[in-house]
Amino acid sequence: MAALTPDTVDIIDPDLYVRRGYPHDEWAVLRREAPIYRYERANTDPFWAITRHADIVNVSRQPELFHSIQRLFVTINEEGSPAPDEAILRQLLNMNPPEHGAYRAIVNRRFTPRGVQGLREQIDRITAEVLDGIVDRTECDFVTEVAARLPLAVIAEMFGIPRADWAMMFRLSNMMIGPGDAEYAGDETILETLQRARMEFFQYFSQLCEDRRQNPRDDLASVLANGLVNGAPLPIFELMSYFALLIIAGNETTRNATSGGLQAFIENPAQWARLKGDPSMAAGAAEEIVRWTSPVIQFTRKATADTNLCGVPIRAGDELALFYPSANRDEAVFDRPGVFDIGRNPNRHIAYGIGEHFCLGANLARLELQVMFRQLAERLESVESAGPLHRMRSNFVGGIKHMPIRYRMRPRA
Amino acid sequence: MKVVVDHNLCEGNGRCAEVAPEVFELRDDDRSHVLADAPAPGSRPRIDLAVSLCPRQAIRLIAE
Repeated sequence: MAALTPDTVDIIDPDLYVRRGYPHDEWAVLRREAPIYRYERANTDPFWAITRHADIVNVSRQPELFHSIQRLFVTINEEGSPAPDEAILRQLLNMNPPEHGAYRAIVNRRFTPRGVQGLREQIDRITAEVLDGIVDRTECDFVTEVAARLPLAVIAEMFGIPRADWAMMFRLSNMMIGPGDAEYAGDETILETLQRARMEFFQYFSQLCEDRRQNPRDDLASVLANGLVNGAPLPIFELMSYFALLIIAGNETTRNATSGGLQAFIENPAQWARLKGDPSMAAGAAEEIVRWTSPVIQFTRKATADTNLCGVPIRAGDELALFYPSANRDEAVFDRPGVFDIGRNPNRHIAYGIGEHFCLGANLARLELQVMFRQLAERLESVESAGPLHRMRSNFVGGIKHMPIRYRMRPRA
Repeated sequence: MKVVVDHNLCEGNGRCAEVAPEVFELRDDDRSHVLADAPAPGSRPRIDLAVSLCPRQAIRLIAE
């Protein structure tokens, strides 16, 4: 194979992500040779690919100069894709200061370290129940039977959504995140899939919202339904979008970190032995898993004024794509970045982003991952792969759809 | 040097208390509080890290 150069790498074709996973070799070439790279190809609108840790931090720390935009990620131009400015949802991820902070403040207290500590017992209980569900067998699909279940149950319980409706939340989240994947989209185009999922979500949330306005409870649905921004109730589109954002983000990314994390342990048995020997390493492991898997591949920004990055001129209106998994393997920041090391300290990964849009759910994700991997370490006596990973067709979220494993698990202590 | 957390901006994400626990503490009001107005020089690298990690850009360093 010819040596990779910036002008021959492909970092956005979603089919490549299905076949090979993340293009770490390609990102390494860009970090080394063209860290602020004008990505111009026939199959996409041009954008700047930002691949170094320091530059992604720099851009993220200037939310006025680099705006978040409607199109959350860059991709190839496909038949049936939404137009770049198509507003599928309007939520935190495409808002800017000061509006973004005002919206974020509505739910923030539920997600602070203090806010999520109150969920620890619940997360312990759900995790134990999920593992009980596979204890009598020796093979399972780790994604659908384990990894997906904990975060979905937690966010659904936080919202006060009854168990009977969880499967629908899972299905619609998959359609919203993986509309380019036939397993989730069926025969529909990307845009049709997004619109259908949105319609079903909005129908469901508008009833939920109505109920919580009549009968408020101590749940997230009630916080949103009765929330105020600048003293007024949220406009309906923004309100419905907010519900969708939290449900989707709450169950999608942690699922992929969990699956990818177990995969990393299967591929690195010494690290697995280390965690089993000392389950209190789960907190550090959770950070390394998130660095290693970086479930969010990219978010876009748009320059609001002419500027430059590392001396490269950027024009007002130019779009940038920030590739977080690349930053999390940056040789300038991480010692042996290509090594999965659960004792890594410090671990300055930016898988949760940084600055204005730092992941609202980071503390929740951390807690879920810590509890899950602690219990896995305590109960899994052996684990190995029982077939290939099935990756979602997406260059936005590193989704793992199925992951067959063979294992022995001990009953709850 | 004085460390100040703007409580109109802070929303209690707790990144600062994580990296510099000797300087910042998350309290019951879900705000970060500065434990020592003039922290030890050895804390400076961790304070700088806290400043750069804060999602709300709520931490300021004031030269005295």
